[in-house]
Amino acid sequence: MTNLIDGGTALAWFTAFSERFASTQAYLTELDRLAGDGDFGVNIASALERTQERLPPAMEATCTTVFEAASRGFMATGGTSGPLFGMWFRDIAKGTKNEAAAVTDIAQGIAAGLSSIQKLGGARVGDNTMIDALEPASVALTAGAERGSTLGEGLLEAALAARAGAESTGDLIAARGRASYVGELARGVLDPGAVTIALFFEAGADTVGAGRAWQPLGATA
Amino acid sequence: MPTAVRRHIINNPHRVIDEALDGFALTYPELVTFYNEHNLISRKTLIPGKAGLVSGGGSGHEPLHAGFVGRGMLDVAVCGAVFASPTADQVHAGTKLANTGAGVVQIIKNYTGDVLNFQIAASLADDDGVPVEQVLVDDDLASDNGNDGPGRRGTAAVVTVEKVCGALAERGAGVSTIATRGRDVVARSRSLAIALDAGAHPGDPAAAFELEPHEVEFGVGIHGERGTGRIAYAPADDLVEQLVTPLVSSLQVKRGQAVIAIVNGLGGAYPLELSIAARNVHNLLNGRGISIARSLVGTYVSSLNMHGLSVTLTVADDELISLWDDTVRTPALSW
Repeated sequence: MTNLIDGGTALAWFTAFSERFASTQAYLTELDRLAGDGDFGVNIASALERTQERLPPAMEATCTTVFEAASRGFMATGGTSGPLFGMWFRDIAKGTKNEAAAVTDIAQGIAAGLSSIQKLGGARVGDNTMIDALEPASVALTAGAERGSTLGEGLLEAALAARAGAESTGDLIAARGRASYVGELARGVLDPGAVTIALFFEAGADTVGAGRAWQPLGATA
Repeated sequence: MPTAVRRHIINNPHRVIDEALDGFALTYPELVTFYNEHNLISRKTLIPGKAGLVSGGGSGHEPLHAGFVGRGMLDVAVCGAVFASPTADQVHAGTKLANTGAGVVQIIKNYTGDVLNFQIAASLADDDGVPVEQVLVDDDLASDNGNDGPGRRGTAAVVTVEKVCGALAERGAGVSTIATRGRDVVARSRSLAIALDAGAHPGDPAAAFELEPHEVEFGVGIHGERGTGRIAYAPADDLVEQLVTPLVSSLQVKRGQAVIAIVNGLGGAYPLELSIAARNVHNLLNGRGISIARSLVGTYVSSLNMHGLSVTLTVADDELISLWDDTVRTPALSW
């Protein structure tokens, strides 16, 4: 188990994220069709493809260049979720200026990215958006880093917090984002952005060897 | 009424924007250059040290914005897909292109996606050391519902903002002065629109909505969305009066004041109809003792082939009129 995210680990994280996303895409599209305009799955899939095209070769990759590539890939994507993910990855890249990032670097970058997204989108916890998963994940990771958790422990706690946050969106009426236009109709439907945040942290925990056999999100809803 | 099947003069629905921009640039080689990678239309010769002006948004509103690229207006137009914001990456590329050393003013129509992507692009440009000021255009009176939602939509007043800011930039003003003046123009401007028929997306055989012969959609935006209500079909003068009266009242235009007026086609109204509408805009305002200092009639901000029109009024003063009168040389506006 590694305690640093070097270029190779960051590349593996995005590979794992892309795989987790691909296996969940049909479900996410269905969620967005119920509460939005149905383009979420296609937009994020194309952002991940653009990221793949921009990723540095394994020999040259650092944590920073991998997250920068992801940032550029997501910012070249339509819709609103793609660019917000792009801003988040950009702040993570800024937080990891060394060859390899420790859990404290990642936690700081993730918290800075959360704040950027909130500044742009205006959403808070409870508004039924990606923030419902991202903020608890960021809080858990930062707390873990302060306690001296290993990278694996930190990412696992963040993944569990993100999952719980994503599950909570089923009970919420959207106040921001596309789902705010349909109100009560979106009750019981998980927010696809929040689910995708959970997938990202699950992929991170898996990549550093701290993952588990994840049940599909929304299975209990 | 039989539902008409809409046909389009296109090759491939997925190539509409690339092919149209290519054709546009081939037509005006002395005025503009087309950058295919990010779907940017730039002024043929950018002026070193002049504040750069960038606007953009979804396509389907032609001649906006590419038609207003050139001397005295925009330096770069960033073209998204039909009715979809350009990406942050595209806007960032356009902003960098427009910067010739004095920074950039971005003119943004108020829509969630546009605002988000322009803000991200401004933040990326800031990282590159390019100072960016933003002017948010939110002139559509119909979407003024007073609560904390997304706010009024941006529509045809964006033409007035681009003209005035473009003139100031040409005179050598800095980005902060230009943006302040742009925001002032927005505050002085309101628009309202009606439609008899919705437009249809390229490749889509159906219009966005259907109306009965006795109905007119009131308070439409420029994306084929429904308006705020339906009014009875009536002669042009009656319809125009229902647009002008709330505009004058909202802007609190007083007897003796002057305005700049734009009677704008939404893509499916023919020039004769627009001139008939313009006639009554002039009559109504003259009757209220309001002078129309300058005006335009024509299709400037369309909604694909929507059969409708909007009226935009901007409360004018001498300085604004002087900026309006400055030389402009673009594909869609020249004097």
